[in-house]
Amino acid sequence: MNGTFTKAGLQRGFLAAQPLALGIFVYGIAFGLLCIEARITLAESMTMSAVVYSGSAQVVAVQSIKMGQPPVGAALLAVLGTILLLNARYLLYGASIRPWLAQSPPHLAYPTLLMLGDGNYVLSMKRRSEGETDAGFVLGSGLATFMPWIGGTAVGLTGTTYLVDPSKLALDFLLVAFSAAMGASMAKGKGDMPVIVTACLVSIALSQLSPGVAIFGAAVAACCLAAWLSTRVPVPAASEEKAAP
Amino acid sequence: MSLRLDVVLFIAALGGVSLFCRFGGYVLMRYVRFTPPIEAGLKAAPLAVMCAIVAPAAFRGGVLEWLALAAILVASRFIRNDLVTAMIGLAVVAGGRAIGAV
Repeated sequence: MNGTFTKAGLQRGFLAAQPLALGIFVYGIAFGLLCIEARITLAESMTMSAVVYSGSAQVVAVQSIKMGQPPVGAALLAVLGTILLLNARYLLYGASIRPWLAQSPPHLAYPTLLMLGDGNYVLSMKRRSEGETDAGFVLGSGLATFMPWIGGTAVGLTGTTYLVDPSKLALDFLLVAFSAAMGASMAKGKGDMPVIVTACLVSIALSQLSPGVAIFGAAVAACCLAAWLSTRVPVPAASEEKAAP
Repeated sequence: MSLRLDVVLFIAALGGVSLFCRFGGYVLMRYVRFTPPIEAGLKAAPLAVMCAIVAPAAFRGGVLEWLALAAILVASRFIRNDLVTAMIGLAVVAGGRAIGAV
């Protein structure tokens, strides 16, 4: 089956993700500044941002570079293991987006996975729940968040600091505010409460480790619970719900 | 503007791990049958991720962040546009910080 993957969908996603772009740009600048401290060149930093494209993982990687020298041996394995843990949430993102993305040809699906980030994943899945079928939306929103990450890294590497304190504009709260808004309108009622409560509690418990680990642990726990509950509680079909008096 | 071999190899190793995570779950699901429990589990992922982004921020945050999240929750009952709802929350935090509130 061939799903839709159109230029119009790509543009829709690109525009829809613009509000997230500013926060990512600012985070990219912070990463660029960190690269200067670690004595990594512009080309190396940009390559890392393009190849890895994960803020928390890149910060760990850069902090492991001492005086411009990357780690080797056991230290390298420790860094790679940490990054595996920090990025494990992408395993879940890829698995849950498969029913949508696999309808597109691989030469479009795989680059889309490379552009996936937290913000455009939740945005795309929210739109999907509202009826979006065009997988171009995922790539478009991914590009809209990937590009400011690369651009922000480059700006940070020039040593430019912020003109305005990002926290004054609440940019550190941007993804949180969008996730809260999308989550609030996505939650359908009592049926979603086990997922919400589990995800909140597990993420708070794991948040000391890293936001990435917290997301992964919370999502795995909530997904397992939802899967188990589906085998116990008969879910009434939408038509049956409507037919009830 | 130069690339050193040891750093490039390090970035390649990072890229390998990153690629495994980005493609791994997607490729794995090609070989897994979408039974109703698996489908129900994966369907819960987006909402769980949203909660996992919000809950730690709320837990760590102060009165301003709580006010902002409360404003978002209330506004989402009346406003269908997520962008507008999120902006209300951001305005609460930015406004509060501007006037020097906690």
